[in-house]
Order: sequence, then structure tokens, then C-alpha cells
Amino acid sequence: MDAVESPERRAAFEARIAAGEVIEPKDWMPEGYRRQLLRMMSQHAHSEVVGMLPEGNWITRAPTLRRKIGLLAKVQDEAGHGLYLYCAAESLGVSRDEMLDALHDGAARYASIFNYPTLSWADIGAIGWLVDGAAVVNQTLLAKCSFGPYARAMLRICREENFHRRQGYEIVATLARGTAAQRAMVQDAVNRWWWPTLMMFGPPDAESANSEALMRWRVKRQSNDAQRQWFINLTVPQANAIGIELPDPELEFDAESGNWKSGAVDWDEFRRVLRGDGPCNHERMAARRRAHEEGRWVRQAAQAFEARRRTRAPREISTTPRREPAHV
Amino acid sequence: MNAAGTRSRAIAKLRTVMDPELPMLNIVELGLLREVEVEEDGLHITLTPTYSGCPAIETIVAETRRVLADLGPVSLRIAHAPPWTTDWITEDARRKLRAAGIAPPAGRVAQPEAVRCPRCDATASEQVSAFGSTACKSLWRCANCDEPFELLKLI
Amino acid sequence: MSAGLLETVASQPAPAPAPEASGALETQRARFEWLLGLADDRLILGHRLSEWCGHAPILEEELALANIALDLIGQAQMLFELAAETEGAGRSADALAFLRDSRDFRNMLLVEQPNGDFAFTIVRQFLFDAWDLPQLEALCASRYKDLAGFAAKACKEARYHLRHSHGWLLRLGGGTQESNRRTQAALDELWRFTPELFLTPVLPSMSSTSDASEAHFQETVRAALSEADLTLPDAAPFPALRGRAGLHSEHLGHLLAEMQVLQRSYPGAKW
Ligand SMILES: [Fe+2]
Ligand SMILES: [Fe+2]
Repeated sequence: MDAVESPERRAAFEARIAAGEVIEPKDWMPEGYRRQLLRMMSQHAHSEVVGMLPEGNWITRAPTLRRKIGLLAKVQDEAGHGLYLYCAAESLGVSRDEMLDALHDGAARYASIFNYPTLSWADIGAIGWLVDGAAVVNQTLLAKCSFGPYARAMLRICREENFHRRQGYEIVATLARGTAAQRAMVQDAVNRWWWPTLMMFGPPDAESANSEALMRWRVKRQSNDAQRQWFINLTVPQANAIGIELPDPELEFDAESGNWKSGAVDWDEFRRVLRGDGPCNHERMAARRRAHEEGRWVRQAAQAFEARRRTRAPREISTTPRREPAHV
Repeated sequence: MNAAGTRSRAIAKLRTVMDPELPMLNIVELGLLREVEVEEDGLHITLTPTYSGCPAIETIVAETRRVLADLGPVSLRIAHAPPWTTDWITEDARRKLRAAGIAPPAGRVAQPEAVRCPRCDATASEQVSAFGSTACKSLWRCANCDEPFELLKLI
Repeated sequence: MSAGLLETVASQPAPAPAPEASGALETQRARFEWLLGLADDRLILGHRLSEWCGHAPILEEELALANIALDLIGQAQMLFELAAETEGAGRSADALAFLRDSRDFRNMLLVEQPNGDFAFTIVRQFLFDAWDLPQLEALCASRYKDLAGFAAKACKEARYHLRHSHGWLLRLGGGTQESNRRTQAALDELWRFTPELFLTPVLPSMSSTSDASEAHFQETVRAALSEADLTLPDAAPFPALRGRAGLHSEHLGHLLAEMQVLQRSYPGAKW
């Protein structure tokens, strides 16, 4: 791809976008567009991977075999999303290793929501219902974005996030009709996760730094506030249906707009967590770095083995095929 | 209604039960529905799950009961034998998978084929990971169009 | 699947053949415990593998380990249901998993050993898989039809598992000096648990496994180790503890304390 950015090229690109065309990795694109997509896709991939930590925290304590299987399968899905997104992002010319380095040295971000702790089993339900629910809203829109690989990735991933949302809601609903202790546990979880979930859609439109260009390029199809409102409207009736209270005394239905109006989000908390001072930022990054460091010898071994296999060095004595045959 | 009529009505209803993890496919075309029998005491349904640890089976069972609710009593059996195989996925379902960007299992268990990219149809693909996001898939990347795609594993 | 969801009205699963039919002095208790052993191995190993979640050396392995754990726990669930039915005391699969103490668990010592490093996990898994696949293949011919059905399904999964652990054994053994050293150390440490793999009693109503399976295991292991530049440790002595008899290492109690915490803390609650 020729990287030279002439005004004509830019204009032609903007015209393609305006005409609703889909941009593919091998097409010419302005450096700003490429950088934004890379930022979003790698951040999304990192979020899937870091997101395994708070939920993984309860796999070994899941209360029934069925719940253990459900949670393990969900966390495995998230790893799969991460891998898929890293692959899709690599089409923009940056390797997974480079993206991981950026995560580990703090240059790249992941979703702030995963900097909150999972303190009880009910948190697993709350995350599925609220956090995956918010992800579904966001990803349904991203599935219509102008960059082909990202749009297609979202289409695929969203199917599974929807299943997670349903499972999460089912956990919450089960606890909500359980014993007094279970009801208290689930209400407490929703109280803690509700506001951070609303923050997932990003700062209010007036303060959103990247929004304008992203909307013009049809990467983002709806503003942060509009997505947040959509999510609230979907979720309030679900909470009411199972007798869960949302921790917002100002929440009120506005008949004129048809929206549930919420109280003010604590944007100071949002900025604190984003800065790195949230409840678990330190633990999450430490866990990711440790896994990466402790896994280094494994990756080196796999590389050395692969290199030797390719050059058929003498140590290679096997006749077993090392590449998986295509039909596996 | 006679037994044959009840049976075909039941199957039509079961075609609306989608697999939660492959929501473009219903349980009939995915081969999960093994038997529908009309007996004096009601409908007898046999389902076979894909994998031992398949988290979707609960949802499928609940949905199956829901859609059959107005056809009288239903007894539902989960049969693990014979084990589910991708050979039971219908041709039509294979087309739907491909259209949704998931490569259908490459051929039949008896006759494996090369993996084709669901986007550009090229056969030059490499496996990224033998295990994908769900137990039934692996992750591949097309060497022609760069697209990552999932393949439903042949079992 | 939970028993509650699946009321089997018409076609009750065929019960295990009665002692008379098997022609041997088998008690119901022995059959129950035999099935529990098979189930507990899978639950405990699946649980150990799930502890890797979020901490694996590479993203592909997050997927692989979670996937294998999922298969094993799903298999355990099916076996617990067969065991519960055989016992006939109305206990559910969940009660068997979450409300028994360590003395009542019947898994082998190998599977309860803590994860250690990645080499340790892979060697533990390889030894299990190399033992498990031929066992499952033999169980496909069990005259207990539900068990044969289980084995037919589990076999397909076990083939993927063995391919995975065998592939990594070769990579680690033949990778770098460090990976070879770690893998050999894991093997030396874990080898002492292998005699127990072949001490499970053969119940004619359940299995048709014979001495052939031990020979098969030895052959798989020997071939893999030589290909991976690893040395077969000396024959291990007869085990001092026997998981199948409920005599476990100290590790199992901790694992169960964690796994069972919610069921124990909130008796009778539905989840
Ligand atoms: Fe995800
Ligand atoms: Fe999710």
C-alpha cells in the first residue's frame, strides 16, 4: 500500500466512506483512519483477554457443575474473541506481539470495567447481564462500521456475547428468587456494577475526544450518550421484571422522549480508573505481565522447535506430522 | 390430528429452536434432533448434544419444551450414543454457516477436504489455533484475503 | 444437564447390569465407586486445568486448556449422573461433586497434583491422556449401554486431548535446553503416580479392560519420550497412598475447600 496522502486520495477515500462502502485492509486509507482502527481493535482484543481475569476468578468456585461449565465456556469464548480480534487487527500491519508489548508497557488500554473486582458469585451474573449486555449494544453498532474486518469480527463475536448476556441474566434472575442471602448478594452485585457499566460507553458526547472523526468515518455509528441511553432503556424493564433495583434514585421514565432518564454518572471515578487508580488496575496488569513473563520460556521452546522442524536439524527424528492436517 | 400430522407439526416447531452458539442454525439441520415419536402418552423427543461440556444444551432443552408446549405432553431424552458427528449437519446448514463467515466442517469424517475460506473461497489457509472460542471450532487465517475465520471441526 | 430439566418419562436409561447378570461378586457399592473414580478423575483434572484460566503462556493455550477442562467437566457430569443412578439413593450429580469430603473422592493422585509450571501441567495431562484414551476405547464395548454411549462420545474428545498434550510434550522436550530440563523434571516428579493408573479393579459389568491397556500406555509413553529427547524414569514403587481408596495427598482437601465453598456455605440454596 502506498502511504502517500495527497488531498485527492483523501477526498476519494472520504467519498467512498460517504457512499457507505466497506474499506478492506489492502485498500488505501489515511494514516489517521488506520491508527484509529488499530487503536480500537487492539484495545478491544486486550479487553477480551484482561476480561478473563475477573470472571476466571470464580471458575474454581462456581456453585454447580452446570454453572462451572457455563462460566468456563464463557471465559473461553472471551479468549477466542481476543484471538480473533488480534488476527483481524494484524491485517492493519501490526503483529500480535507488538500489540501485547503495548499493553504490557502501558501504552495501550483495555476496557476500564475490568478494573473492578468480582467479590461474590452474583458478580458473575451481573457481569454477564450488564457488561456483556453493554457490549452487545456497542458491538451491534460496530458491526456496521466502515472497516470490513472489524465489522465482520463484531458480527461473529456479538452472537456469542448475546448468549453470555442471556446466561448472565438467568444467573441474576435465579439469585433474585433465591434465599434472602442470595437476594442480598445479587442486589449488592448490581449496585456495584451498574454505574461502571454505564461508564463503558465512554465520556459524555461533549467531552469525547475521538468522536467527531470516528463518526465521519462511519467507524462509530452512534454517540456515546445515545448508546448509553439505548442500553438503559433495554435494561430497566429487565431489572423490574425480576425485582432487582437499579442503584439510581433519580431513574425515571420520561413519557415524552420514551427514555428512562438516569441520574448523573460520576465522571471523576471514570477518569480515576482510566488513569490507573481503579480498584484492580494494578492487579490486572500485574497478572497479565506475570503470565507473559512466566510463559516466555514456553513460547521460546515452541519457536525453537518450529525452527528446527523447518530446517530438519538432526534432533528431529519424528515421522509424526507436526502441522495439523487440514481436516482437523 | 393423526400421528403423522402431529409429528410434522412438531418438527416444524423444532425448526425454530436455534443453537445459541450457532444461531444461524436450528437443531434439526444441525443434527441435534435425533427422534420424534408420537405415542399414546405424548411426544417423545430425543436430542444429542454436540460436546460433553456443551453449555448450550440447557438452553436448547428449555426452548424445545417451550415451542412444543401446545402439542400436549412431551418427554425429552438426551442420548449420548451414538455420539453426534458433523456428518449430521445438512447441506443447507453448511451453506448457511459459510454465508455467516464460518467454514463448515471440511467434508465428511470419511472424506476430509481442504479448508476453504468462507469469504474468498481460497484453499490456502493456515490454522492459527486448534481450539477456537467454542469447543466445536478452530481458528484459521486465509492466506489469500487475510481474513481470520472459524472452522467447525470435523468430528 | 441437570436431572430436573430432563424428566425421562418414557425411556428410562438402562440401569447397570445386575450382579447376577455380570456373574461376578460385584456389589452395587463397588459399581458406584468404580463410576465415581472415573468421574472424579475428570472433575479434579478439569478443575486443575481451569485454574490456568487467564494465566496461560500464550492465548492459544488459554483456549486449549479451557476447552479440555470443559470436556472433562462435562464428561464428569455425565458420569456422576450414571453413578447417582447406580447408587439409587437420590443424590444428584451436584451433590456428588460438591457435598462429598476428600475421603470420599475416588480420583487418582496424579490428577490432583497442583499445576506447577506449564511443563508440569503438560506432562500430567499427557500421562492422563495416554492412559485415558485406550481405556475409553475399551469402554465403548462395555455391556453397560449408557457407559458405552458415554465412552463413544468421550473418545472423540480424548483424541483431541492426547494430540494436544503429545504435541506439547514434543515441543517442550525438543524445544530449548530450559524447556527440556523443566519437562524432564516434571516427568521425574510425576512418574511415581503412574502405577496407580493400573490398580483400578476390573468390574466385568463395567469394563473389559485387561492388562493390554498397561502395555499400550507404556508403549505410547516410551515412544513419545524418545521422540521428545526425554528419559523414562526408573520404575516407580507401589504407591503409598491410593486415591481410588480415598487416601489422597494433602492437596485435594484444599482444592475441594475452594470448589465446594458456595454449596457448603449456603446449604440448600439453588444456583
Ligand atoms: Fe467477548
Ligand atoms: Fe462475553
